[in-house]
Amino acid sequence: MFRHFTMRQALAACLCLLSLAAPAADLPPAAAGTPHVRARLVAAVDAVVPGGEILLGVEQRIIPHWHTYWRNPGDSGVPTRIDWQLPAGAEAGDIRWPTPQRFVLGPVTNYGYADEVTLLAPVRVPEGLAAGSRFEVRASVSWLVCREECIPEEVELGLALPVVAGGAGRGDPAVDRALARLPAAAPWQAGFVQAADGSLRLRIEDGAFRPGRPASAWFYPETWGRIAQSAAQPLSVSEGALELQLAPGSAPPPPGEALRGVLVLGEATADGERLSGFELAAAPAAGAAGEGEVGLLAALGLALFGGLVLNLMPCVFPVLSIKALSLLRHAELSPWQKRLQGLAYTAGVLVSFALLGGLLILLRAGGQAIGWGFQYQSPVFVIAVAYLMFGVGLNLSGLFTVGASAAGIGSSLAARGGYAGSFFTGVLATVVATPCTAPFMGAAIGYALGQPGPALLAIFLSLGLGLALPYLALAAWPPLQRLLPRPGAWMERLKEGLAFPMYGAAAWLVWVLARQGGANAVLVALGGMVLIAFAGWLYAATRGGSLWTRHGGAGFAAAALALALIGGGAGVDAVAVDAAPRAESAAGDQPWQPYSAARLDELRRAGKPVFVNLTAAWCISCLVNERVALSDNGVLEHFRERGIAYLKGDWTNRDEAISRYLAEFGRSGVPLYVYYPPGAASRPVVLPQLLTPDIVRQAVGNENPVSTSTNLKES
Amino acid sequence: MKFNVLAASTAIALGLAAGSACAAAQLDQPAPTFTAQSAAGGTISLDAYRGKTVVLEWTNHQCPFVKKHYESGNIPSLQKEATAKGVVWLQVISSAPGKQGHVDGATAQKLNAERGAAPTATVLDPEGRIARQYEAVTTPHLYIVAPDGKLVYKGGIDSIASNKKEDIARADNYVKLALNDLAAGRKPAHASTQPYGCTIKYAD
Repeated sequence: MFRHFTMRQALAACLCLLSLAAPAADLPPAAAGTPHVRARLVAAVDAVVPGGEILLGVEQRIIPHWHTYWRNPGDSGVPTRIDWQLPAGAEAGDIRWPTPQRFVLGPVTNYGYADEVTLLAPVRVPEGLAAGSRFEVRASVSWLVCREECIPEEVELGLALPVVAGGAGRGDPAVDRALARLPAAAPWQAGFVQAADGSLRLRIEDGAFRPGRPASAWFYPETWGRIAQSAAQPLSVSEGALELQLAPGSAPPPPGEALRGVLVLGEATADGERLSGFELAAAPAAGAAGEGEVGLLAALGLALFGGLVLNLMPCVFPVLSIKALSLLRHAELSPWQKRLQGLAYTAGVLVSFALLGGLLILLRAGGQAIGWGFQYQSPVFVIAVAYLMFGVGLNLSGLFTVGASAAGIGSSLAARGGYAGSFFTGVLATVVATPCTAPFMGAAIGYALGQPGPALLAIFLSLGLGLALPYLALAAWPPLQRLLPRPGAWMERLKEGLAFPMYGAAAWLVWVLARQGGANAVLVALGGMVLIAFAGWLYAATRGGSLWTRHGGAGFAAAALALALIGGGAGVDAVAVDAAPRAESAAGDQPWQPYSAARLDELRRAGKPVFVNLTAAWCISCLVNERVALSDNGVLEHFRERGIAYLKGDWTNRDEAISRYLAEFGRSGVPLYVYYPPGAASRPVVLPQLLTPDIVRQAVGNENPVSTSTNLKES
Repeated sequence: MKFNVLAASTAIALGLAAGSACAAAQLDQPAPTFTAQSAAGGTISLDAYRGKTVVLEWTNHQCPFVKKHYESGNIPSLQKEATAKGVVWLQVISSAPGKQGHVDGATAQKLNAERGAAPTATVLDPEGRIARQYEAVTTPHLYIVAPDGKLVYKGGIDSIASNKKEDIARADNYVKLALNDLAAGRKPAHASTQPYGCTIKYAD
């Protein structure tokens, strides 16, 4: 683009040149040498803009055969250290380390750099710098440089960058070279299992892997002692999966913690081996020998119990109550027929859960990052469930009845006295139950998702059995039926009353849609509901007429219904795509910042305490926790007093980064609350899935002050 | 992320095999025993000190990190403090002949006298045999063997990996802490820490 220089910019540029020509007397030079390393302070830009962020770098040119160290130096050595002295208000982030290489000296293995390396660091430029002034940066850089002997060295470097109002140009090409050498974000999810003797097996699945590709692999752990640095790392690559065997080190990963580091894969090419580095956070595999994991039996038990609790969820309870009432109505049925009703209902639930489980297995095989409640990340699914709730509500309110059955009780699908009716009530119960993930189901489903297909299915079926159990027991055991109140007119009133939880659920789902797709999605959803209500009314109104009227009415009603479903689905899908950036995270004065792995990493490296809340609009327990505990003024004050950064991740829509973070903690769904105490090496604490202000205040920020030296021991 | 049972059990079996193959210096296991030349002449055997707490300190007088802790008086005073309480302190020199830090017995003793160092004895290990047994990698690198012969500490001298003397005061001295814990009848709170320093100059 062509750009005109204003007089002011030209003047500023002149001033800069003048000031560059006469640097402040105390600013050290940008380049300095030691007997082994020539160091240079470089910038990605040739000028700074107030309020912006720039990348600075320290380039090391190392004499042949010598090396400096990576963040984890390996068996011996010390990482290069940069101490920044920046103008007031400016802030430097942690070093971004290029992919390291290995140096092996007998039984000692080190990780570091030979020949040339540039260590980058982001620097925030404060607001309110005057254009034309100079932004002066000083860096004390110390390193250990080794061949066989090791020499600690230190230099002072300085750089002055002109401040401009806008339009800074490109800086030193060394920065681009360094960026190209940074490890890339890993495009796959990695997991590891830890055997009883502590040895680790790192496993990554990707369709592109096949024997010989990659040809080599080496894992560089970010933290010292996670593995034995000098031990071989036997690699096996099969069709679609890679496994790396890692010998145990002196400081193995604590239970539940991810194994972080850089994985370097080698590709055989015509010009030799080409290496690429990937930033990796391998999740501990569920079912590994670690503590705090759920075994299959425990998971089945938890799932069964979780399923039972689902019966009490506000959207499930009405469906079941109606079904129970219909048992009373059908006093003429024999006990056996009633039992068959119960079995048909159970079958409906189990088939639905089996389908859900099968779908999860399929998606997982396709490499999707999924989790419990994932269906609700699809706006089409959300609108379909909203319509279903609304339709069932209208039916309960008595706007229309479906079918010829005089029983007339229950939802359209559940109304029939036949076994099909019972079966579909089971399906309906499953559909409405899924969003209400009861707190203790999180662990069981998280475990299920990490399991092979059969175990996953078993856990889902156990969950379904739990859901079906109360009604099954009621149908199978006549003495229980006698405990129910006697039939009467109250049943009709209760039925009508139960319509309101349904409307409530529909209203909530429309709100979820609003979060996913904005105002347009709400319009589409509400328009669809009007059509559904119209279809219901038309259908009912024409029932009593002639054959022709009846068929015409039903036909028009069906057309209106189809329009609502298809139009709603297509419409909401279209608007949801545009609405990807979430309005809420842009707001200015909320007490939290949006979660990102980079932001978390930055805060952690700075040793700041961090509270992470992963939530979704369709997750009821998340919303309750946020309202009751996390919006509590006392809690927010508690956070502020202790300088705890509050990061919030929204999983309402699909988000790979959040799915990966969940997987690191062995979870597959929200909510997840994690607290990182101060200190870069502190252990994260996972909070319960049901929060009260007291739980949060007790779990967060009450650690004893940690001395600086303890923090540094694992750096 | 999914591992089938067969693969997992294979991994465990492989892991166990690997574990038994390298019965090197492991915490809470009997420390590898050795008999070697002493700088003062004669031989030194770890077994001879059974019943006492023994500190093993890998050293190389030319290493900047060793210099940090000797010139500041940090390690010499720790040696005096420990030996006064009946702890046995053995320096181990594993630099190969011709490499940095390799010295004969007489020189080793002279260096200690000059530096005010007071170990119980200095072990000469020019083949790096003991160093490999203990998987020692740096100078300084410290190990503590309890009176029952079991290894109870391995790692660095303190918590700040630097060559700067001014960091010593700020750092947690892991060896001192571990000796205090042992004297009080406790297991060391930090039993395995990151050693830092120069690489041991093993023979090529």
